[in-house]
Amino acid sequence: MKVDLHPKESLLFNAFLLVFIIHSVQVGVGIIGLPRIVFLNAKHDAWIAVFLAGVFTAVILWFMIMMLKQYDSADLYGIHADVFGKWLGNFLSFVYMLYLTACFSVIILNYIEIVQVWIFPNLPTWQLALVLILLAVYAVHGGIRVIVGVSFLSATGTLWLLLVLCIPLRYTDITHMFPIMNVDIKHMIKGIKSVTLSILGFELLMFVYPFVKEKRRALFYVQLGNLFTTLAFTLITLISIVFFAEDTLSKVIWPVISMLKIVRLPNLERFEFLAVSFWMLVILPNICLYLWAASKGFSRIIKRTQKMGIWIIAMIAFGASFFIKARYQMNFFTDMISKAGFYAAYCYPVILSIIVYLKKWLSRRKQSHAEPS
Amino acid sequence: MFKWLAGKKSTEGSKPHSLMIDELKEQIKSQLNVGEDLTFRTLKRDGDKLVFSYMSSLIDTTALDEFIITPIQENTHTKWTCEAIAQILPIANLSAQNQLDKVVEGINVGKVYIYIEGQPYGILGDVSKTVERGVEKAETESLVYGPKIAFTESLIGNMNILRHNIKDINLCMEDLTVGTRTKTKAKLVYIKDIADEENVNVFREKISQLEIDYVAGTTVLGQLIENNSWTVFPQLVTTELPDRVTIALMHGKVVVLMDRSPDVLYGPSPFFSFFESTEDVYMRWNMGLALRFLRLLAAFLSVLLTPAYVAVLTFHYEVIPSPLLVSLGQSRANVPFPPMFEALLLEFFIELLREAGARLPTKVGQTMGIVGGIVIGQAAVNAGFTSNILIIIIALSALGSFTTPSYIMGTAIRMIRFPIILLAGFWGGIGIMIAFCFFIIHLLKLDTLGGSYLSPVYPLRWKDLGYSFFRVPTQYLSKRPLTNHPIDAQRFSVQKAKKKDVDE
Repeated sequence: MKVDLHPKESLLFNAFLLVFIIHSVQVGVGIIGLPRIVFLNAKHDAWIAVFLAGVFTAVILWFMIMMLKQYDSADLYGIHADVFGKWLGNFLSFVYMLYLTACFSVIILNYIEIVQVWIFPNLPTWQLALVLILLAVYAVHGGIRVIVGVSFLSATGTLWLLLVLCIPLRYTDITHMFPIMNVDIKHMIKGIKSVTLSILGFELLMFVYPFVKEKRRALFYVQLGNLFTTLAFTLITLISIVFFAEDTLSKVIWPVISMLKIVRLPNLERFEFLAVSFWMLVILPNICLYLWAASKGFSRIIKRTQKMGIWIIAMIAFGASFFIKARYQMNFFTDMISKAGFYAAYCYPVILSIIVYLKKWLSRRKQSHAEPS
Repeated sequence: MFKWLAGKKSTEGSKPHSLMIDELKEQIKSQLNVGEDLTFRTLKRDGDKLVFSYMSSLIDTTALDEFIITPIQENTHTKWTCEAIAQILPIANLSAQNQLDKVVEGINVGKVYIYIEGQPYGILGDVSKTVERGVEKAETESLVYGPKIAFTESLIGNMNILRHNIKDINLCMEDLTVGTRTKTKAKLVYIKDIADEENVNVFREKISQLEIDYVAGTTVLGQLIENNSWTVFPQLVTTELPDRVTIALMHGKVVVLMDRSPDVLYGPSPFFSFFESTEDVYMRWNMGLALRFLRLLAAFLSVLLTPAYVAVLTFHYEVIPSPLLVSLGQSRANVPFPPMFEALLLEFFIELLREAGARLPTKVGQTMGIVGGIVIGQAAVNAGFTSNILIIIIALSALGSFTTPSYIMGTAIRMIRFPIILLAGFWGGIGIMIAFCFFIIHLLKLDTLGGSYLSPVYPLRWKDLGYSFFRVPTQYLSKRPLTNHPIDAQRFSVQKAKKKDVDE
C-alpha cells in the first residue's frame, strides 16, 4: 500500500474549509446532552471543564498535525502501514475502521432516540435509520468534495441556532455559576473526560488531511475550527447552568432541547420540534464523514472499491439499528463508544505521533551517519 | 503513400453532372423529390442554351428577376460563358460548381444554379429568402426596465443583435452544426480574452460529439450536453434576452446560438444564476438587492410552506400558538380529509389552472385563470374540500414559484414540492428535513460544465457573492466572477474608482 495518498488536483479543497469540517464534525448529537453530563461531575463549574476540554483538544490537534506533517500527504491508513508494517498496520487500520463504523451508527441511533423521545414515540428505529443511512450513502458517493460541501453548508446553516439560545438568556440567574472554581481537581478531570463524546470527531482530520490544498496552513484553520467549537460548547453549557436551577440540570437528559422549549414566536411555539428536526442537518456531516473515512479503508487496505465499502458499512449500521431497543442498551453503547473515542481520538494520536517522530528522527540519524562514510 | 486512395475516396461520393441540359434536369429531379417546387427556366440565344434551376419556395423571386435574369437578358453582347456571366451578375454570393451533389445541396438551401450547355461548370448564386418574424418584445421573460428586444428564430438576426451589443473585436463566433440529418447551424460565441478556454472546449467538444438526427432547439441542446440528465434542476440557462446574454458574455460565460431557435443557451450557470434577473442590474443596487432576496425567499417559502402546513396539521399541533390554532381548527372543521390529501388536491388544482392557462389562447386563458381561481377556490372551501388557510398558503407558494426569472427553474421548484408534501405527510418535520438534506446533497453533487453548481456559496467565493447572491454597488465589482474562471478578470481599475479624501 502506498503511504502517501496523492489525490487529483480537482479533489483538493481549500485549507480554510477545515474550519467548517472540524467544527461541524465536532458538533453532533453529543452537545444536546452535554451540559448535564458535565454538570454531574463538575457541578456549576462545568463550563470551565468544557473549555478546558477544548484546550486539551487543541493540544491533541497540534500533535496530529505535527504527525501528518512528517509525511507528504498521508492519511492514518498510510501512516499505519508505514510505521507498523503491513500486518500490524493493517490490523490497527481495521480496528480504527471498526471504531469509525461504530461512531457512524451510534450517531444515527442517538439522533433517532431523540426523535423518538421528542416527536415520534412510535417511529420504528429501522425506518429512520434506513433513510439516514441512505442519505449518507448518497452523499459519500459524491466523494470528498460533496462531503466537505455538506459540512460547510451544515456549519453555516445552523449558526442561527446559537442565536436562538439568547432567548433563554432572559430567564437566567447569574448566581448559579458562583462560586467559580470551587470544584476539586478530581471532579474537574472527570468532567473534562465526560466532554469526550461531544467534542469527538476531530480525529477525522487524519483522514481528510491529504485532500487539503495548502497543507502549511492546516494547523491554523484546524485550531480555529476547534476554537469555535469550544467557545460554542462553553457558551451553551454556561447558559444551561445559569438557566436551570441547581438540581434540575442533573434531571433533564437533553437540557439544550429543554431550554429551546420556551422559545416562542408569534406564529410558532414549542420550538424544540423545529430544533429536533433541524438537528438532522447538524448530524448529516458527521455521519457522512464517518462513513467516508471508514469506507476509505476498503480502497486503502483491502484494495477493493470504496463503493463496496460504503454499502458494507451501511449494511452493518442498518443491522445494528435492530439490536438497540431500550434506553439502557443505548446508554451502554454510547458509553462504550465514548470510552473508545477517548482512546482512539485522544490517546492514540499522541502515542502514534511520538512513534512517528521517533521513527523519522532515527531514520534521519541513520542517514546522516551514512552520509560521511 | 495513400494519397491516390484518399483522392479516389473523396471523388467517389460526388461526380460532375451531365453537360446536357436535359440530362442535368433529370439528374437534379431524381436527387430532389420535391415535385413542382423545383423550377427550371431556360433561355436560348444563338443556339446557346442556358438554364436556371431553383426551388421556387426558397428563393426571393424579385431578386432572381432583377439581379440574375435581367442582367443576362440585357447584356446581349456578352458571350455566354461561365466567366462572362459571372462578371455581369450583381450578386455578392457566387460560386462555380460542377459536382452534382454540391449543386443539389445548393439548390436545397435556396440558391439558383445557372448552367450554360456545354460549359465545364455552372454558377451557384444565392438569392435565398427565409421566412422569419420581426423582432418583438420578450414574451417569456417580461421586464419593467431595460431593453425590450428579444431574440428571434433567425441565427443571422440574433448574431446581428449580439454584434451590435458588443463591438469588441475579440468576440468570437465559431461555426458548429447540430443534428446529423437536419444540419442546423449553430454558433459558439465567447469573448476570446475573457472566457475560460476550458469552458469553450467543453461546449465545443460536447456539441460536436453529439450524434443525433435532430435537435429541436437550444433548450433541448442544453439537456443533451449537461452532465446530469436525471435531475429536475437545469444546469444551463436559456434566455431570450440579448442584454442578459451580453452581460453573461462580459462576465466570461460561453454562449451557444442555434438557427431556428429563439432561445440562447449559456453556461456555466450555477444554481443561483437562475434567480438573477437583468432587472436587478438596471435597478439601483439597494432595490436590486431587496428584490433578489425577495425572490430567493419566495422560492424557499414556495417549497416549504405547503409541506410545513401538512407537517404541522398532521403531527405537530403543539407548534401553533393557541389563538391561531382556534382559527385553524375552525377552518379545518368541515374538511373530512387528512391534510396531506387536502394539500395535494389543491396543489394539483393550481397546477391544472396554470397548465390550462398556458395552453389556452391568451385572452381566454387569463379570464379562466382568474375566474377559475376565485370561483372554484371559494367553492372548494364552501363544499368542505379544503380550508381557507390552505388556499392562502397554496396561493402564496404558487406566487412564490412564479417570481423566479427562469421559467424552467420555477417549474422545477413547483415539481419538487410534491415529494416533500408526501414526506411531510408521512414523517412531519423529520420528513421535510430529510427532503431538505437530500436536496442539499443533490445540489452539491450537480455540476455545470464541470464547475460547482452551488458556486459561489460552495466553494465560497466572497467576491462573487456580490454578483449572484447579493447585489452590491458597482465600484465593488471590479473583478469578473471567479466562477467563470475569466482570463482577464479586471473589469475596471479599482484605483480610479477609489473615493477621494475630504477636500482633495
